[in-house]
Amino acid sequence: MGAHLANKRGGRMKEIKLLYLYPDMLELYGDYGNIQVLKYRMEKRGINLIIDKYSIGDKAPDFCLYDIVFAGGGADNEQTILSEDLIRYKDNIKDAINKGVFFLLICGAYQLFGKYYKGVEGNVIPGLEIFDYYTEAIEDRTKRCIGNIVINTKIGETETKVIGFENHGGQTYNIKTPFGKVIYGNGNKFEDSEEGFFKKNVIATYLHGPLLSKNPVIADYIIKYCLERKYNEKSMLNELDDTFENKCREQLINSFCK
Amino acid sequence: MYNSLTILIAKVLNFFAKILCKILKKDNGNMLGRIVKKLNPNILEYLKIDCPVIAVTATNGKTTTNNCIRYIIENNGKKVVSNKEGNNMETGIITTLIKNCTISGKIKADYICLEVDESYVPIVFKKIRLDTLLVLNFFRDQLDRNGEVESLILKIENFLKTYNGNLILNNDDPNVARLGQANKENKNVYYFSVEKYENASIKQKEAGEGKFCPFDKTKLEYEYYQYSHVGKYICPTCNFGKVELFTEIKNVDLENMTFDENEIHYNTQANNIYTIYNFAGAISVAKIYNLDAKKSLETFKLNNGRSEEISINGIKTFINLAKNPTGANVSLRTLNEDKDEKELLFVLNDNPADGLDVSWIWDINFELNNVSRVITSGKRAYDMAIRIKTSGFDENKIEAYTNIDEAVKSLYKTEVKKYVIANYTALQPTRRTIFSNK
Ligand SMILES: [Zn+2]
Repeated sequence: MGAHLANKRGGRMKEIKLLYLYPDMLELYGDYGNIQVLKYRMEKRGINLIIDKYSIGDKAPDFCLYDIVFAGGGADNEQTILSEDLIRYKDNIKDAINKGVFFLLICGAYQLFGKYYKGVEGNVIPGLEIFDYYTEAIEDRTKRCIGNIVINTKIGETETKVIGFENHGGQTYNIKTPFGKVIYGNGNKFEDSEEGFFKKNVIATYLHGPLLSKNPVIADYIIKYCLERKYNEKSMLNELDDTFENKCREQLINSFCK
Repeated sequence: MYNSLTILIAKVLNFFAKILCKILKKDNGNMLGRIVKKLNPNILEYLKIDCPVIAVTATNGKTTTNNCIRYIIENNGKKVVSNKEGNNMETGIITTLIKNCTISGKIKADYICLEVDESYVPIVFKKIRLDTLLVLNFFRDQLDRNGEVESLILKIENFLKTYNGNLILNNDDPNVARLGQANKENKNVYYFSVEKYENASIKQKEAGEGKFCPFDKTKLEYEYYQYSHVGKYICPTCNFGKVELFTEIKNVDLENMTFDENEIHYNTQANNIYTIYNFAGAISVAKIYNLDAKKSLETFKLNNGRSEEISINGIKTFINLAKNPTGANVSLRTLNEDKDEKELLFVLNDNPADGLDVSWIWDINFELNNVSRVITSGKRAYDMAIRIKTSGFDENKIEAYTNIDEAVKSLYKTEVKKYVIANYTALQPTRRTIFSNK
């Protein structure tokens, strides 16, 4: 074990392992920023974040060995290639979710974890069928749910407003446990009242921004969840200086939700 | 008859608009084109154009390159009609052409050269003849307006299927090079390239678009990256990337601002790789029309916020425009190559013309070399502050002001060299505020 695993007091440094899926394909809209935010907020608290990357052609990963799995949004035309590859790991991924590994899935990745994605020409891209929602493209190619979005969500014990930016043509149906209620913007479908999909260890959402940059409460929920699961102890995260984040949130919420 | 009448009305309108603009000290922009298009949607088809029409399209560098081509043509003693920055959609192009035509619709010029917004290429050139199209690059830019980059490329590809004019393509950008196969019958496809320069890298430093071969989806193999996804690549399956070059820039020396092309030595004012690519495009146009480019490039000034260098009360200040990650990365490269201590002001707006989505700032590579303070401003000053803080820059050395006056005031509290980066709608207000501090 390397020396970096020991902290100043000589104890073992806590360590979280993250698997970053398809960094070379799912990287539109700065979604990688979510990992940067997690890393930043962990390092400030003396927790080490190890990032492993997996892409097409790499050695098969074991999803169960990770604390967090992250996948972002990509270009529509690359979704097919990706689905074919990811489906090979379906059982392993299911296993990981059942064991409590945290999954953060943005946009295209959100859609891939459902039953299917049906394109404009009626072509169906099969999903992982891990959750029973499904997505269909709007017939009019030029129409997309695009814009700033604010939702109200209850995560753990905390109720909070989540701010992001949505940009999707797909309309996602059959969600029983949404990530939040839409206050401003579209959500899972055009003018929907609900956004995303949530369960204790899964956040699947259309929100870019990147999501965690403007919503430190969500970032800390994920960190806390991973620490408690891995180290089997109640963890209290020390507060960070979130002056910029708070001012940013205040300004955006005021301008969107007049 | 109706066409002539439209032009006549337009001319009269333009006359009064000019006076009005002089009084108000404002630019009338696309106004005229908007009115003309309402009056007569087919006006472009009616115009009588005898001279060559050259168009430049790209995500980055349209304005610089178009200005450069215009400058080359003028320096060769020819008359050229050309659109100004920002007037690159249909109405802007109508405005430019109407202002420069006779009542009968004839345009008196030796050349017309236009910068055209990527999504307007198929629309505008369905209506007017196009002789030469220069395509420089495709990056993610204002995605929320155009949809995905891919659908934009498909639109242009579709247009090119029946196009037989000159097509000049940047072979180092796979998104551009693929357009050369849109119409296999077209014998007038010309590729340009820039030889590996000193800061090229083996690994991709900044986010880019092209990763897979557009023809068989094989992963492209890169020998090196010049910046973003621009570099030397090949598809191991179909050899995509391998072409015969029409223009190849060699021996790029950014410090001395020189390079060679076809045994000609160029002395320019370009200190970044991104402008070298623009010049490679402009030189290709010049070669096709037998125009001399060497002399012109020696005196061609790069300005208007694009690497502008000024002195404010003796403090050296560089102002750069960055509309997307690639633009910002290029500016930051220049900043990092400067070894002196400096301060950075980054101004970020999210107006419709900028694109409402500011998440692109997370694709910027924010390793800052010898920067002692960062100030952020604009409507999304706090987003920018969060971004820079997360990259590891000491948060105690970051100040955020949504108000540009406060930001500039604070910036000039010290006498350290300044680098200013602003996005589209932020640039002019930022420049004005800085100049008023003089
Ligand atoms: Zn190929």
